[in-house]
Amino acid sequence: MNHALLILTLLIAPLLGFLFNGLRFRSPDGYVAGTVATLAAGISFLCSAVLVKDLAAMPVESRVIATHFFDWITVGNLHVPFGFVVDQISAIMILVITGVGSLIHLFSIGYMSHDERPAKYFAYLNLFLFNMLVLVLGDNLLITFVGWEGVGLCSYLLIGFWFTDAQKAAAGMKAFVTNRIGDAGFLIGVFMLFSAFGTLNYADLINVIPKSPEALWTGTLTVATLFLFLGATGKSAQIPLYVWLPDAMAGPTPVSALIHAATMVTAGVYLFVRMSPVLIMAPHTMEVIAWVGAITAFVAATIGLTQWDIKKILAYSTVSQLGYMFLAVGVGAFTAAEFHLMTHAFFKALMFLGSGSVIHAMHEEQDVRHMGGLRKYMPITHLTFVMGWLAIIGMPPFAGFFSKDEILWQAFSSPYGSKGLWAVGVVTAALTAFYMTRLMALTFWGKSRFGHDVHPHESPPTMLIPLIVLGILSVIGGWFGIPHLLGEYVHLPNLIEGWLEPVVAKLPEVQSEPVIEWSLMRFSVALAGLSAAFAYDSYILHPERTGKLVSALGVVYEAIFNKYYVDEIYQGWIINPLVEGSKALWLYIDVNFIDKATYFAGDLVSGMASFVKTVQNGKTQSYALYMALGVVVVMTIVLM
Amino acid sequence: MWEAIAFYSLAIFLIYFAFKTITVPNPIHAALYLVLTMIGLGAAFFNLGAQFIAGVQMIVYAGAVMVLFVMVLMLFDLKAELRAFSRGLFSGGLKVMSAALLAGLAIGAANSSVAILENPDSAKPVADVTRQLGILLYTKYLYAFEALGILLLAVAVGVVAVSRIKGGTHAQH
Amino acid sequence: MLSIETLLHVGLPHYIFLSGILFSFGMIAVLMRRNVIVMLMGVELMLNAVNLSFIAFSKESGNLNGHIMVFFVMTIAAAEAGVGLALAVAIYKKFHEVNIRFFEHLRG
Repeated sequence: MNHALLILTLLIAPLLGFLFNGLRFRSPDGYVAGTVATLAAGISFLCSAVLVKDLAAMPVESRVIATHFFDWITVGNLHVPFGFVVDQISAIMILVITGVGSLIHLFSIGYMSHDERPAKYFAYLNLFLFNMLVLVLGDNLLITFVGWEGVGLCSYLLIGFWFTDAQKAAAGMKAFVTNRIGDAGFLIGVFMLFSAFGTLNYADLINVIPKSPEALWTGTLTVATLFLFLGATGKSAQIPLYVWLPDAMAGPTPVSALIHAATMVTAGVYLFVRMSPVLIMAPHTMEVIAWVGAITAFVAATIGLTQWDIKKILAYSTVSQLGYMFLAVGVGAFTAAEFHLMTHAFFKALMFLGSGSVIHAMHEEQDVRHMGGLRKYMPITHLTFVMGWLAIIGMPPFAGFFSKDEILWQAFSSPYGSKGLWAVGVVTAALTAFYMTRLMALTFWGKSRFGHDVHPHESPPTMLIPLIVLGILSVIGGWFGIPHLLGEYVHLPNLIEGWLEPVVAKLPEVQSEPVIEWSLMRFSVALAGLSAAFAYDSYILHPERTGKLVSALGVVYEAIFNKYYVDEIYQGWIINPLVEGSKALWLYIDVNFIDKATYFAGDLVSGMASFVKTVQNGKTQSYALYMALGVVVVMTIVLM
Repeated sequence: MWEAIAFYSLAIFLIYFAFKTITVPNPIHAALYLVLTMIGLGAAFFNLGAQFIAGVQMIVYAGAVMVLFVMVLMLFDLKAELRAFSRGLFSGGLKVMSAALLAGLAIGAANSSVAILENPDSAKPVADVTRQLGILLYTKYLYAFEALGILLLAVAVGVVAVSRIKGGTHAQH
Repeated sequence: MLSIETLLHVGLPHYIFLSGILFSFGMIAVLMRRNVIVMLMGVELMLNAVNLSFIAFSKESGNLNGHIMVFFVMTIAAAEAGVGLALAVAIYKKFHEVNIRFFEHLRG
């Protein structure tokens, strides 16, 4: 089938869903809205599947489907086409986005069935899908930026969906403003790249940069990519712009699953994987990215240990896992980053949806201290959650093991990596296992801690089917990227590495002993297992121990529980000075100078008008005199 | 020689009558002085060899137009006005000066362009002016002539329409 | 320039001069007199002055185009005087005044 038509359908279906639901946004009928939206997402998924199938059928050297709809901007030297390209990287992305997206749309039908404005919700959800697809399919940085901004907008709309609650609305604003700061950085990076290399097209940039002499001068490229990374920290919630993501849990849970686990937050990772041949020319940036990712992973994991809200735990877990992806990017393991993106989408979306199921069953209760023992009441939710839990803590043969392990190995062995990075990664893996097991223990296992008036029940099928599908994917998703070490035994190649190889940058091979890789693998799995067992012991078998530990840690615990006071520091050191400065500017400069200048201009015109008005005095003879004088002047001019 | 005397006496009369026209306070007197000016102008036309035009001037202007003026003035029972001239010395001076300037410019321009006229030396009087005029009017300027007729028709209709305004013309009511 | 020779030998410039003086008189009447009818008389004076200059030029150039022009000007001036006077009568009927200092309604 015609590829341009397929890409067009892929993009237009969610847009049409947005228009359909958007025009009837006051409708309270959630089923019609949800069905239309899910159908739109499903159509996109079908188109993606066909496109990827066609892509796979093409020979490796020319494995790309590109379309060009029209020339968007042609100004001076800037030629920006409105074109889309499907290659190996975007193939994975569109399958994940539309596949997981469709499942989440399906889940939302059940979840939002009691809401006042479901049509508006589904409209925003479809709009988000459209923008995300534009982001990943664009063939140049500007189209990506259009999608980038669009998903930021949809994120704001969806987080602040219940905007009548001031706190939720504020969370939406926080997300948008923080994203905006990142976007400014992104734009500066784009400007620098354009001024240095004259093109914004990915293919052209990749072709131009390794050959140009400026590439060896890391100055421009490093600064430009650092600015792009600033944009990525905003969108993908890394230090210093991660503060919006925990607050974003104010939105409906499926939104958290779609946007803040599977798709939007991965935009930054996607950007760098796509620009990997450019990025490896700026090793300093890569070092920065790796360390920021590692530290973010660690810090977020520590905060996640202390939280009591089920969604906040998952939010900090997301920040932490994104840190892993950036760590992978920073050490040059682009395939591993993309792989972890994919598996994380599966198990994190699963867990968010599962928590949504739990919250729905517990009548909007989100505090895990009031849960417990839900395994008996919600068996299917519990089973799928277990699959996600095993995946995230990195137990073989579940999905997370393969991707996380690959990242840790690359952090250790890559020429851009270091033992320090590996150490941070391993400790964070242990922490991850701990807090995820803690979550499971407090929510599903042990004794029930809720009152007798709460009767949790299993969720309806529309909510269970996505959970089951994602659960299966969490199990088998990792088998796309079995490392060579293990692959020899099961006779399965590393599919994802082979798929992505032609398009991501290749780092010089480092020869290392298989023994080291084996022992690292065993070490990390063992550490994760021990950590999980310790958590189980702490929360189920000997719960009083945690209380003593917390009081022993005292101030340290307080600091971690309050998220290291980062929000307060931002408020006091950045936001308040800016607000006060703006107020000062308003009161002293705007009122005194600018307003006075405009009044002066107005008064000047008014005064001149009153003066000129005296000419028209209504006397015929004055007018005749003016005419005579006019004739005199004209005659003088003519005769001279 | 006689020509010069004729011209200068006529000129003095004309200037005197015109001056009186514009300065006497009583409008009826002004109208009568204007009649005299027009008769003087008729004489000037005759001097310049435009006999037909001189006759038309007498008949149309002095005979019809000025009678009309006087009739209208008699309709209003006007005494001499208290303030015949517009107020203000400065604006008055300005008006006189501008009129003088305009006239001066026009005269200067006209005099300096005399040299480019077609037959500067042919002072031969055109014989049988009326006949020549008639031929010109009915051949070369026929269109304008007919248009003039339509214009007069329109004017007549317009005047009748305007004069249907209600109201009396007595000075005191 | 201003010699007895030019003074005695009456030609076109003299008539132009006369015409100009009469024209300025007419213009002064229009600008300075308050009575509407007198203003119209000033207009007639201006037109007559112009007629004089036309005839003078016509004599100087030897053809009769000036006469034709004067013919038309006279006709149109008469028509215009008729309309102007009709309007003056109408104004008098309405306002019982023909002094233009009362007609400043169009002041801005």
